[in-house]
Amino acid sequence: MGNKQKLKFEFMRGFVAIAIAIAVAFIFIFICADDPAKALNCLLIRPIISNGALNVSSILTILGRMTPIIFTGLAVCVMFSANQFNLAGEGTVMAGGFVAALLAIYVPMAAGLHPVVCILVGAVVGGLLMLIPAIAKVKLNASEMVCSLMLNYVVLYVIMHFLSNVFADRSQGSTQTYPFLETAKVAKMVPGTELTWGFVIAIIATILVGFFMYRTRWGYTIRMIGINESFSKYSGMRVGGVIVLSQVIGGVLSGMGGAIEVLGRYNTFLWKDLPGYGWTGITVAILAKNNPLAIPFAALFIAYLNRGCELMSIYASVPAEMIDIIQAVIFLFFAAEQFMSKTRQKMVVKETKEELAKKQQEAAVEGGNA
Amino acid sequence: MADNEYVVQMKGITKVYPNGIAANQGVDFNVKRGEIHALMGENGAGKSTLMKMLFGLEQPTEGEIYVNGEKVSLTSPTVAISKGIGMVHQHFMLVPNLTVAENMVLGMEPKHKGMFMDYKKAVEITEEYAKKYNLHVDPNAKVRDIPVGMKQKVEILKALVRGAKILILDEPTAVLTTQETEELFKELIHLKEQGYTMIFISHKLHEIKQITDRLTIMRSGKSMGVYQTADISKEEISRLMVGRDVILTVEKDQAQPTDVVLRVRDLEYTNEWNKKMLNKLSFDVRKGEILGIAGVEGNGQRELVDMLFNLNTPDSGTATVNGQSVIGQPQRKIRDLGVSLIPEDRMTFGMAGTATIEENLMSDRSADNKYNNGPLFNMKKMHEDSDQLIKDYKVLCKSRNQQVGMLSGGNIQKVVVAREFSADPILIIADQPTRGIDVGATEFIRKKLVELSRAGAAVLLVSADLNEVMELSDSLIIMYNGGIAAYFEDTTSLTDAVMGEYMLGLKQQSDEEVRRVQHGE
Repeated sequence: MGNKQKLKFEFMRGFVAIAIAIAVAFIFIFICADDPAKALNCLLIRPIISNGALNVSSILTILGRMTPIIFTGLAVCVMFSANQFNLAGEGTVMAGGFVAALLAIYVPMAAGLHPVVCILVGAVVGGLLMLIPAIAKVKLNASEMVCSLMLNYVVLYVIMHFLSNVFADRSQGSTQTYPFLETAKVAKMVPGTELTWGFVIAIIATILVGFFMYRTRWGYTIRMIGINESFSKYSGMRVGGVIVLSQVIGGVLSGMGGAIEVLGRYNTFLWKDLPGYGWTGITVAILAKNNPLAIPFAALFIAYLNRGCELMSIYASVPAEMIDIIQAVIFLFFAAEQFMSKTRQKMVVKETKEELAKKQQEAAVEGGNA
Repeated sequence: MADNEYVVQMKGITKVYPNGIAANQGVDFNVKRGEIHALMGENGAGKSTLMKMLFGLEQPTEGEIYVNGEKVSLTSPTVAISKGIGMVHQHFMLVPNLTVAENMVLGMEPKHKGMFMDYKKAVEITEEYAKKYNLHVDPNAKVRDIPVGMKQKVEILKALVRGAKILILDEPTAVLTTQETEELFKELIHLKEQGYTMIFISHKLHEIKQITDRLTIMRSGKSMGVYQTADISKEEISRLMVGRDVILTVEKDQAQPTDVVLRVRDLEYTNEWNKKMLNKLSFDVRKGEILGIAGVEGNGQRELVDMLFNLNTPDSGTATVNGQSVIGQPQRKIRDLGVSLIPEDRMTFGMAGTATIEENLMSDRSADNKYNNGPLFNMKKMHEDSDQLIKDYKVLCKSRNQQVGMLSGGNIQKVVVAREFSADPILIIADQPTRGIDVGATEFIRKKLVELSRAGAAVLLVSADLNEVMELSDSLIIMYNGGIAAYFEDTTSLTDAVMGEYMLGLKQQSDEEVRRVQHGE
């Protein structure tokens, strides 16, 4: 198929997948909501418009919630582009956040410098962690998927150990650390909301990753390896090194996202489970078709739905888990290679036939020239 | 019905794959009851696709299939098996860790008390069939421990146990030794006598002549006709298969070879099936000459090329380019030595299908200084050079941003060739450079090869297309069983008939004659 037709098909396919997901959500809403109309209103409209006016605080919340999933989305995007199905986004977000939190509590620094150092160290921790599945893959041919998936739980329980036995603030009712030093916090863009300057960093990161993937030799190599590893090897690219690089970059991005989220949204480190941003990052990257520049839009879509589900649970007694159902259905249809393949096949057959006919004409002309 | 003499009828079969390749275009294929019917054609001619549809592995885009006169819709191998069709795959579909008997009954295990597998019964079934069809196997041996010839018998028995009356044999002799092949043929004739019908896929002419009754020839996804094997000469078959009636002539001056560029000495390699693929192979390629390698496929050509580009590692031996070893070296280093490769399997090695033409043209040079300004690509320079290459190599496309996978075979190959030839190579390894591509592109690529060799590159040309090797080579090696059967310093007076004898192992030059291809030390 031609580029344009392919794009057209992908858009159509994405649209149908989302439509089906929302239709499935409707079914559940009709089953479990006391007032389905109100629930639908909460899901689709209330996140941006309430009582006939723009719901500014909700919009700012959506933007704030986009921040961590832009980072994890970008991370997954880089790794999946290299055909590395690394799922350690969860673990690296948590580890990045935790280490940044420790620096924010125990290491006093100047106000401007403090969050920067915390975020960078969080990023480095994420990158280092990703070395484990990456090197196991390259040196031992161990599946990065299994390795990274398990790594999440190793990270979770190691952090839980240190959180409850070493760094816990015993004066508090729940397990949490001492509060962060004020100097370490990522400042709010709009006071009193969830929107921090982290959002701006996320957008800058998006542009940088976009440049990296499409305008540098490393990004190019990552993409070529993802498309055809044998070809990349034959072309003289350092395949092993770049496979490691892609996952380390993924770790750096998600570690950074974790640090920014923890220092922007909370006063103390209190995650007692994997935060879920890593998983959402996978949905975001799949929605964006691994295109870094499309990540913020995919993140916006997911954050919007997330907010809608939250409002539904508050005002219409529909469980907040609805978001997981919607995400799962979208995920299912996007990841399903064969979804709508019959339509695609029809388009291909039609085009191939046209081309064959054209080629026969061309061959006649070419034969004349030769 | 008069049609009933045919057990299989495929009418007007067209298959378009999701990548837009039309592997079959309106193919008719009919097999008579009780015959051995050859399906012939070059790689990529569409034989496998046609057979996959008959075995239910693929569904036709258009066309109808009749089995025993009844129209059928073969949606899966299970359906095909229920219609009495069995397939013996080229790459065996056996579970190595299970015994022969267990493999035999896989998916239809005899049950003991309705729950457990009755292994004794499985052995009995195996022995019964082995005896009945004169195919001797050891039911208790693990499949991983048995020789290739026996694995094939297990595959055939597996199909028979499942009630197959029509057997599709996909290049059954490709992995067999001569003796094993002879044995297989006896067994196939035995099966034929018992009323079985066989479809025999191969491109080995002498085998076809020996064993089949009729044959269908395919080329570029189309049927070139059905013939009685007895009535058609080998030359005629080969002409229909490869279309040699289109003779392309390339003008070239006398070669003026100088220094040795590629030196190969005593290369040995035994493959995973314990077959010796390279046997003390030694030769030299000099600057300014095209050394052709001819031979029936599977006589070590592919392995040789893999070794030279470190896509595989030999058991022993050396290969040097201007004195520097290429064995076990990273491809980056091999390319930096000035080696370019046009790979035989261009879909796997030659291109990244969903990447753009430009990205494919830049794959070996993306890290070069001229394409980078610090960390960023110099896009302007890349665009310029890509456009120039597209123009110079006459790649038919809408723009450099078009996906390579969407181009025709000939244009994909032009992209590969443009990249490989523009890297200023001192040694070009061209492995089947014009296989399966149109006449225009073929002629263009051949001319370029000659041009580069005359400009001072050493060229190693591996091709199964006799016309091509004879036309282009200055001197020529014929490979047989991993070694050199013959070396011809001058190809002008060479004929197909002479080459054929060496290619099929009927003749072998003396060691002294062969050693002439080693030019000095």
